[in-house]
Amino acid sequence: MITIPKWTDGPVPRTTTARRRPPSRALPRAVALTVALLALVGVAALSLGEPTLGPVRALGALLDAGDPAHVVVADVRLPRALLGAGCGAALAVSGLLLQDSLRNPVAGPELLGVSAGAAVVMTAVVVLGLQVPLALAPYAALLGALVAGAMVLLAIGATRDPEHVLLVGAAVSAAGAGLVVALVGLGTEGDVVLLFRYLLGSLAARGWPHLEAVAPWIGLGLLAAALLRSRVATLALGDEVATGLGVPVVRTRVLALVVAALLAAASAAVCGPVAYVALLAPHVARRLVGTGTRRTFWVAPLVGAALLVAADLVCRLVLYPVEVPVGVATTLVGVPALLLALAGRRGR
Amino acid sequence: MSALREPTTDGAEREGRRRPGRPGGRSGGGGARRPGGLGAPAGVLAVASAVALAVAALVTAHLLVGRSEVPAREVLRALTGGSGEPAYDLIVLRFRLPRVLVGLGAGALLALSGVLVQSVVRNPLAEPATTGIGAGAALAVVVSLVLVPGHGATYAVALGGALLAGLLLWLLGRRSLAVTGILLGAVLSALTSMVLVVDSQPMGTVLRWLVGSLNARTSGDWAALWPWLLVLPLLGWLLAPVMNVLALGDVATTTLGLRPALARGAVLAVAVAAAAAAIAAAGAVAFVGLVAPHVARLLVGSDHRLLVPVATALGALLLSTSDLLAFAVSLDLPLGGRSVAGVPVGAVTALLGAPLLVRLVRQERR
Repeated sequence: MITIPKWTDGPVPRTTTARRRPPSRALPRAVALTVALLALVGVAALSLGEPTLGPVRALGALLDAGDPAHVVVADVRLPRALLGAGCGAALAVSGLLLQDSLRNPVAGPELLGVSAGAAVVMTAVVVLGLQVPLALAPYAALLGALVAGAMVLLAIGATRDPEHVLLVGAAVSAAGAGLVVALVGLGTEGDVVLLFRYLLGSLAARGWPHLEAVAPWIGLGLLAAALLRSRVATLALGDEVATGLGVPVVRTRVLALVVAALLAAASAAVCGPVAYVALLAPHVARRLVGTGTRRTFWVAPLVGAALLVAADLVCRLVLYPVEVPVGVATTLVGVPALLLALAGRRGR
Repeated sequence: MSALREPTTDGAEREGRRRPGRPGGRSGGGGARRPGGLGAPAGVLAVASAVALAVAALVTAHLLVGRSEVPAREVLRALTGGSGEPAYDLIVLRFRLPRVLVGLGAGALLALSGVLVQSVVRNPLAEPATTGIGAGAALAVVVSLVLVPGHGATYAVALGGALLAGLLLWLLGRRSLAVTGILLGAVLSALTSMVLVVDSQPMGTVLRWLVGSLNARTSGDWAALWPWLLVLPLLGWLLAPVMNVLALGDVATTTLGLRPALARGAVLAVAVAAAAAAIAAAGAVAFVGLVAPHVARLLVGSDHRLLVPVATALGALLLSTSDLLAFAVSLDLPLGGRSVAGVPVGAVTALLGAPLLVRLVRQERR
């Protein structure tokens, strides 16, 4: 006589997904919230600085070419804010793809060496005076990003222990940072501006040409990520489940990694490896709408964009007239937040 | 290979041999009777003589290679107490000899610190360069140079900063030393950059601590480093049995009569001191503290009584060889005239170390 234990006998294991998923109205609400936040930060980025304009005046100057403040708003602040938003969105989606496809909460381009690899190549291009046109810079950055990322992924292999990933990524990133410092020190007798652009990331002195160079890459990457998002969501359930659902696991993971590297490289090509935005934005998005790549995909880029534009604004103003590299601000905010995220995960 | 050497072909035993240093893997080495891959006295003798030979070759190469031509006979005469040519004396005794000695010493201390840190963190991928200790040294030097421009006490300041960062690591890292170290390093580097943005004048000096370099080391640097070399390797070796016990896990440690927190604190203290002394002299050279212990583990197994001395010796060889390579490359560099600084050794270890790390980690997992 075979007795089949009744499924409801014991306490039903409540998965974290089930517990943390808010009602379905959360998604539109979160999107509206983040869009409003981004708009607010964007207007602030257009109006604050030297000269400080009122928000109405700033928006007016943007449209009215005869206004004396038009140049400042339309040619300096607007491209910079748009670039910040674009790179923030790209980094956030890059982090989201890495975290969900590797099922690792601390995966991010800065901790997988991807950002460092891109930075090394870009530094070499600038310092050694290689003649690479601005439009081709993302290709070069992508090459470095893929090499460094592949190295870290090869070393960590199948393990999902976040500590392991962090340690290998940190070692490769440290090596990348060392190479950047060495290149800058060798070529230019310590050009601080250059060092910070490629070591920490900075949005200083970026204009329309930079935006034009990188926009197609970010657009392409976001589009690819949008196409991949439901497959990556299946991957987050586990390899067996994903295989059972007919998703080719290895191919999807490699695709997701390449797209993530592309997005991170595009951003690193123009503003350097801005740390911790990619790591943080997906976590914030999950807080807002719960886990699941399909849902977080719509929120994470908005969060990342708002985060980077806000951080850039703070860096522009806090030590005026000196600009702090934006990577400093994102690191100082991102590290405690990451610690919280890890502590919360371990506590569960 | 252990199946050949030993009559026991117990699967778990062999499994443990190939996966050293993993928590719960197996006891941290089988004691003096089974010291891993090499037979005890003959193997130790062979390794020791190989190391001595390699050190001699490295020192010779370092003393002979340089920007200015110094004949071998003159080098020997300068070493044995004065030749007729003061310029040769100066080159050999004040520049070339200190550089190779600092390289050997700093490499040894970095590798020693690597073994100890990996034991405390219980993760074979930890290394001193990513614990925030190097970032602490850089921050201290930058701040001191901004407050007192052009002071000469950078070694002392860097040492102080590194030790402070180590203390901070111990205070904050209750939960996970590995993660705390990486994040501490990120925050300290960000603060360093913030100070450098305001005042970029210490940039040239601080590059050394940011990447790790042995360029322009003089006898003063060696004088500050050697006392540490007398004390710390000995302390590390004395702690080896403790680390063997710690590798068994906290429960076993307590059962065997050691307080895990206390034991780990002692090991970490020596690790931080070794890393601080090395980093203050040579900067945060990446990968030496990671690769040397791994290679040593492949050679002699995971008994810390053998691992500590072998890894220390390998670290010395690794850093000094990389430095020789860096120096040889900078001699041929087309930038020559403009930049006398040369390729920093940290760039060489980074280039060599990253692929080596991937290989070693994969090999150990198999």
